[in-house]
Amino acid sequence: MSRVVVLGSGVSGHTAAAFLRKWLGRGDTVTVVSPKDHYNWIPSNIWVGVGLMRPDQVTFPLRPVYERAGIAFVHGAARAIHPEGDRADATPYVMVEPTAAPGTRVKVPYDYLINATGPRLRFDRTPGLGPDGFSHSVCTEDHAVHAARAFDESVQRMRKGERQQFVVGVGHGTCTCEGAAFEYIVNLEFELRARGVRDKADITWLTNEYELGDFGMGGMHFRTGGYVQPSSAFNASLFAERGIRWVTRAHTTAVERGRAHYETVDGTQGELPFDFAMLLPPFSGVGLTALDRDGADITARLFQPNEFMKVDADYAAKPYEQWRARDWPRTYQSPAYRNIFAAGIAFAPPHAISKPYQTPSGAAVAPAPPRTGMPSAMIGKAVAASIVDMIRGADGPTHTASMAEMGAACVASAGANPFTGTAASMTVFPIIPDHERYPEYGRDLDRTFGEIGLAGHWIKILLHHLFLYKARLRPGWSLIPE
Amino acid sequence: MPTPTPHVATPTRWTLFLRTFIPWQLWRFAMINLRMLGIIRSSHH
Ligand SMILES: Cc1cc2nc3c(=O)[nH]c(=O)nc-3n(C[C@H](O)[C@H](O)[C@H](O)COP(=O)(O)OP(=O)(O)OC[C@H]3O[C@@H](n4cnc5c(N)ncnc54)[C@H](O)[C@@H]3O)c2cc1C
Repeated sequence: MSRVVVLGSGVSGHTAAAFLRKWLGRGDTVTVVSPKDHYNWIPSNIWVGVGLMRPDQVTFPLRPVYERAGIAFVHGAARAIHPEGDRADATPYVMVEPTAAPGTRVKVPYDYLINATGPRLRFDRTPGLGPDGFSHSVCTEDHAVHAARAFDESVQRMRKGERQQFVVGVGHGTCTCEGAAFEYIVNLEFELRARGVRDKADITWLTNEYELGDFGMGGMHFRTGGYVQPSSAFNASLFAERGIRWVTRAHTTAVERGRAHYETVDGTQGELPFDFAMLLPPFSGVGLTALDRDGADITARLFQPNEFMKVDADYAAKPYEQWRARDWPRTYQSPAYRNIFAAGIAFAPPHAISKPYQTPSGAAVAPAPPRTGMPSAMIGKAVAASIVDMIRGADGPTHTASMAEMGAACVASAGANPFTGTAASMTVFPIIPDHERYPEYGRDLDRTFGEIGLAGHWIKILLHHLFLYKARLRPGWSLIPE
Repeated sequence: MPTPTPHVATPTRWTLFLRTFIPWQLWRFAMINLRMLGIIRSSHH
């Protein structure tokens, strides 16, 4: 009998737990530990954030799903990993702080552990950033509800004739997830038009991207109209068409009531006044610690300083120009303990994909690599498959899911309406540019494409329902691709 | 960098029309889905 414990019930952890349960025998147990007892389909939070969806349309309770599937659930946050157990007992375990009893701890023993704890939202890295400060976020459904309320207030003001200034983007030079903020700004613009107040709004995109359309993945190139075009042209065109201004290459230094301050790579110190701001935070790992059997702190053996977990990547420090696609991890196994894996946002990327820059005062303007839904789920599934094989006797991981060998499909909503809405449908292959295999653009142009239109919106709606169906583990769920 | 004067490509009226012209978009729906399935297939190991 083996015990597999999965930390986190987001895209990656939930996928891993569901496949483990499907593939393992009933004698083996699968336990999910998560401080949230509901699932959130995060990509649809942008629609909650403009008031088009209610939070209950993007979430559902996990307990009934896990009960039905035979997955044990521990409602709490993992705090420390004890990969060697302790002096009394060598069984590895995780110390968990139950949500119902803060300050207390329970032991959750494991034979195999998957860390899929996702990101910690680091609003604290920029003074005044975030829902406890002066800007909004759509990272959780609660944040999105607050954003929608404030957005609605701005709309009411515009209806009374007031002008309103909107600033949307990222709130720090090292943020990732620019794609999500991009979706939010174009949806916000679309909604202002739908509500008949667009002429009263000034909208500005504030980003750490060196060029528009970088998305933390060094941008991409598409064949279109007889040219190979960079995604910067694609985004600039959409922003120009929608009357959205932009500030690129920026580190947001502070947010105060009605004002965002920034510094750019060329040393410009600027500020943007706003009535409404949605600025995503930078991410770190969730701050798990690790202790050996004597209780000595071995966190640095398992985690990078950014709190993400070390896996089978090449973390050797080297100049940006020298990194290679093969530096990226394939099996997601911890080099320190063969029975520990990290999946989704929780694993530490070996380096940036976008070229990092600095402002003259030394602040990093360095978009972190995104780990979107599709790779997060595929990594979760590959790790689950490896663990099942290892339980059955394999020496090591048998499945791989390198982001340098997989593509991603992404649909970025640009306005939600079944007849007039649009979305940018994109595919990239591979996610991590491979300049050895594809010397010109780093990617296979036959498999990298982008297009904007109503069909994309239909696909986005379809994906919303399909992925929620799949996450509820309804009949046939495993046939729906990641 | 603040917004440069937008020396950028903007869509023609025809392009804008096609973006929400339902018969064309039904065709694109099928084609984009096929492309995405291709990506998914080539990404599974
Ligand atoms: C607004 C927004 C829009 C997005 N849109 C898209 C999109 O359109 N397409 C796309 O592909 N991707 C999108 N993404 C990215 C996508 O949401 C992530 O790729 C995905 O959620 C990553 O999955 P994950 O499982 O690694 O992390 P998460 O989904 O964040 O899950 C982490 C889990 O760990 C739990 N957890 C946290 N701390 C602990 C702890 N101490 N112990 C145990 N559990 C813990 C959390 O409660 C959560 O259940 C978007 C992201 C955002 C923020």
